Amino acid sequence: MLRLFRGGPVIWMSPQDADRIGVSDNDWIEAYNRNGVVACRAVVSHRMPPGTVYMYHAKDRHLMTPKSEVSGWHGGSDNSLTRLVVKPTHMIGGYGQFSFAFNYYGPTGHQRDEITVIRRRSQQVEY
Amino acid sequence: MRVKAQVAMVMNLDKCIGCHTCTVTCKQTWTNRPGTEYVYFNNVETKPGVGYPRRYEDQEQWKGGWALDRKGRLQLRSGSRLRRLLSIFYNPDLPTIDDYGDPWTYDYQVLINAPAGTPNPSAHSISALTGQDMHMNWGSNWDDDLAGGPAHAAGDPDLAGLEDQVKLAFEQVFMFYLPRICEHCLNPSCVASCPSGAMYKREEDGIVLVDQDRCRGWRFCVSGCPYKKVYFNHRTGKAEKCTLCFRRIEAGQPTICSETCVGRLRYLGLFLYDADAVLPAAATRDPQQLYRAQLSVFLDPDDPAVADAAARQGIPADWIAAARRSPVYALAVRHQVALPLHPEYRTLPMVWYIPPLSPVADVVHATGYDQADPDRVFAAIDALRIPVEYLANLFTAGDADTVRAVLRKLAAVRAMMRAAQLGLDPGGDLPASVGASESDLEDLYRLLAIAKYDDRYVIPPAHTEDAGRLMAQHEQLFCSLETDGGPGMGGAGPPAASVESFHPDGQPADTHLFRGDDGRVHFNLLGWDGHGTTPHLFPDGGTS
Repeated sequence: MLRLFRGGPVIWMSPQDADRIGVSDNDWIEAYNRNGVVACRAVVSHRMPPGTVYMYHAKDRHLMTPKSEVSGWHGGSDNSLTRLVVKPTHMIGGYGQFSFAFNYYGPTGHQRDEITVIRRRSQQVEY
Repeated sequence: MRVKAQVAMVMNLDKCIGCHTCTVTCKQTWTNRPGTEYVYFNNVETKPGVGYPRRYEDQEQWKGGWALDRKGRLQLRSGSRLRRLLSIFYNPDLPTIDDYGDPWTYDYQVLINAPAGTPNPSAHSISALTGQDMHMNWGSNWDDDLAGGPAHAAGDPDLAGLEDQVKLAFEQVFMFYLPRICEHCLNPSCVASCPSGAMYKREEDGIVLVDQDRCRGWRFCVSGCPYKKVYFNHRTGKAEKCTLCFRRIEAGQPTICSETCVGRLRYLGLFLYDADAVLPAAATRDPQQLYRAQLSVFLDPDDPAVADAAARQGIPADWIAAARRSPVYALAVRHQVALPLHPEYRTLPMVWYIPPLSPVADVVHATGYDQADPDRVFAAIDALRIPVEYLANLFTAGDADTVRAVLRKLAAVRAMMRAAQLGLDPGGDLPASVGASESDLEDLYRLLAIAKYDDRYVIPPAHTEDAGRLMAQHEQLFCSLETDGGPGMGGAGPPAASVESFHPDGQPADTHLFRGDDGRVHFNLLGWDGHGTTPHLFPDGGTS
């Protein structure tokens, strides 16, 4: 299955955004904010509108996640950027969308605004 | 008139969601072996895109299929027999592994051998062919969903001539999926290219196969096939290709890709055709007339004269009956909504496609059908996000009017059924405006929207009197798939038992089960009809 696309985690971005940070298709990039860091490759596609990036189907964190330049650790998955902070509705319980677990990736999605930086990184990656 | 039967497929592109389930089950069944790591008998491409292998549709580069010589005679595009003979030790028109994509796997040992306490060990890509570290930069589906669009989609040969119309920009983005298997052509250029006579088209059902005993690995079939659907097994040194799951077809079952298709977009059935008409049709001078020429080859199974001729020439009565019920004949010939892929290659391909209408659906719904102005429904078709000319480059050698007629008919089905749902009057002119009757549109609705398993797959089982010959074929010509690991789940392959218990005239008895070398009962997708037990396929219940 992993051979049927790019074989590892990717972030989709528009050609305009990619130009702005000097990234070409399949370059190694890093996305980071105060929650964590993702080291992965870029997919540059005109399907993406400028100003939006997109990461989906985060693969196993133990595949193709090189050491990040920001932390020196293996750069994580999409969940590393979207840490969940408890809000009262999570405590209601009893419904799928109103449940809480630590760093839980649930139907409520991202919980708050967060500024994330994406930049091109050294193309020499270590695992 | 020489009547022959052909098993053919239609795929409704409106329904393809690009899930690759067909690819995965096909790979698991047939090419999950050393030597075929890079091979996909079935693959799904994103269009616009360069496909697999890269730019295979560019016959200026690959020289696949047929062309007409100066006197209007059919000749392989790769040139004369002499030219092929002279280049037999060096064939310049072969795709390299970089065109297919070097198949990768991962260095899983890093994970398994990581000492306790290692924080998040991570495995990286290695080549499945050499085991060396590799940087992934191309694969069989690298441009999925327009990934890398500006860099890759622009190289799609079908976009040639549309540069002014098609801008690869967010506001005008369009895409659809194109699942592909071997076309099992009526005029196969792979068979004609083979210097060893190892490739053949089966008499009884038209499936194109490679005789593994006679194949000498010259690879002219690989370059001769314009769809690049013959592959070279680098372990056995022989060619392999999609077999249309012939053992399942013989038992009256659909192919694995059809059986497992989530969108239920595939149809399988019979064509009756006049074998004497094939070569004149393929030699039609104007490429845009090739689609019509191809239709003229087919015979109407409801015509008593055709049925008589077929019966005289040894086609069994139940096959003729199946040809009458064939969904493939209905979609391609009776309603003419399915089109062949790249008829300009002159191979008369037998996998047909219903062009996609989806992106226009909302416009059609919003507009509705207005009896006073019948063109209002159809005005949207020319505003389609997928340019009609692009579809025409794929399916009709550039004849946009034929594609437009198909899309209008599909839109008319929707308009009529929408009116029926809402209790509106669709207007008596609607069917006639697309050259159909009301019952035609109802039949199309039945076929396209609600067709059940038995309506989508009308496959007459092979005959008992042929069983001996077929089984000999299985044993002798079994496409190398019983050797070297064999097909199916990477195991020991389908055992001799599944050949012994093969019942061409009836339902096979548990042919999907076999006893492995370890003494346990195993399960093989190859013989599975969707019923019965499936040991080891799903985890046992109780734990989660």
